[in-house]
Amino acid sequence: MLSKNGKSDTRFWDAQRGVIHSSNGGWLAGKGVFCHGYDMLEDLVGKASYFQVLMLNVLGYLPERRLADWLEAAYICMSWPDPRIWCNHIGALSGSVRTSAVAASVAGALAADSSMYGGRTFLAGVDFIQSALAEREARASVEDIVANELKRHRGKVKIMGYARPLAHGDERIVALEEVADRLGFRVGRHLQLAYDIEAILQRDFGESMNICGYVSAFLSDQGCKAEELYRMSVLCVTSGVTACYIDAREKPPEAFLPLRCDDIEYRGQAARELP
Amino acid sequence: MTRQRVKVKRRNEKFVQRTATRIWQEQASAENPYIAGSCRCHGYDLLELMSGRSYVDVLYLLFRGELPGKDESGLLESLMISMINPGPRHPATRAAMNAGVSKTDPVHILPVALTVMGGSHLGAGEVEAAMRFLRKQGGSDPGTLASELLQNPMPEQGEDWCLAPGFGRRFGSAERLPGEIARRLAALPGSGAGLRWGCAFADALAAQRLGWLNTGVVASVLVDLGFHPRDGAGIFQLLSAPGLLAHGLELANKPVTAMPYVDDEHYVIEKR
Repeated sequence: MLSKNGKSDTRFWDAQRGVIHSSNGGWLAGKGVFCHGYDMLEDLVGKASYFQVLMLNVLGYLPERRLADWLEAAYICMSWPDPRIWCNHIGALSGSVRTSAVAASVAGALAADSSMYGGRTFLAGVDFIQSALAEREARASVEDIVANELKRHRGKVKIMGYARPLAHGDERIVALEEVADRLGFRVGRHLQLAYDIEAILQRDFGESMNICGYVSAFLSDQGCKAEELYRMSVLCVTSGVTACYIDAREKPPEAFLPLRCDDIEYRGQAARELP
Repeated sequence: MTRQRVKVKRRNEKFVQRTATRIWQEQASAENPYIAGSCRCHGYDLLELMSGRSYVDVLYLLFRGELPGKDESGLLESLMISMINPGPRHPATRAAMNAGVSKTDPVHILPVALTVMGGSHLGAGEVEAAMRFLRKQGGSDPGTLASELLQNPMPEQGEDWCLAPGFGRRFGSAERLPGEIARRLAALPGSGAGLRWGCAFADALAAQRLGWLNTGVVASVLVDLGFHPRDGAGIFQLLSAPGLLAHGLELANKPVTAMPYVDDEHYVIEKR
């Protein structure tokens, strides 16, 4: 839009110059530290868990303690100290060349921002189960929902939340189910549908739900949106990355899976002279 | 509901025994298989490239597999100069400066800034989409396409508008420099259909105060040079890296007070 003098109308940006408008909170010296309406030091420190505050910063409201405890358990399931896992591998490589622990850990977290594993998969996982439930409640059968999804992927079981990479079966789901039971959560509509879909995939393909499918369905039942779950899981792999960094850091440099020249297979152009 | 414990077994995918590359060949030295005695990039000896070709030529070789001709090399070098610094107001540069002034370990300044430069608005995350847009629309009439896209509802006042990947407006106006850079690049002998089409498209948008964005300029040159869209994001980050680092380091030796810190009077906590 142009103003009357023919110049661009920049009033919106002018109003933002030099001023921060925060929807979250902040530290006002002498007044306190505020977080979504809570006084952090008075209301939260020693009273809420770290995971409750993590969720408060994502959701804008303080969730009940048991849900934060469940998310914390899910975090434990999503990171373990095995350097063969891609993000952890990066942690170990970082240790072998002596980066800082922070650099190694955030590099691993960044690597897990992947469409194959890590927190980003929840975007598709939640989208799938929430769309599937909408179809189910519009009277589609579970068989039809599965058939349509298979058709989209030319008959392959490429449904986000099912068919775990590297392995059949996912022992983490059983562990999280036990946590959910202990905390008093019931199976909701999303999770029940997730189980029903799993039963068909198990029957026809021998494939089962993976942790992405379980967490996506469970937290959908708790009212989470896809982006919220993604944001709550930003650091879900870091403890394992840090562990693998430390393991390599405490060994001699370049001792983690060293490569000889011929350990890389060259398939390119033969040696040639510059023109 | 807790089900029975599942039996977990590996899928036994067949992973390769060795990673393969077409880019780089390291020949082991005679005395130690871990030490390279020579390196070749797509068949050319690295030491010969050092003395015989420019940095820009070897950069092109790395990604395209062949050395560029004089025209391609000239186009890429001009692009690299034009994009060498996003400038001190770009959010990625500000991130570098913020890290520098707050005494972040200097080894982190560039990764921090490049991460911010990965955004999908004015950043690397937009370049692949812009390359795909240019490749897909390159055969269409730019004026007709512009008219069609302008039928879409405009955003609220006070928002940047990206009409198509790589084309839009910032702060209520078309950017001037990207348009001028694109015009000069299009005049070079190495330029091709991507730049020409983009210039015509930008001309068709000009009356609506829309035009080239830097992301679109980079995308069009990379299309003309035959790069794959998947290469676009990383190369855009690479092109901007020198300026990001220079600004970050400039602040690294200054006191923390060398950048503004918003005081409490200008920090507004909004009630939801």
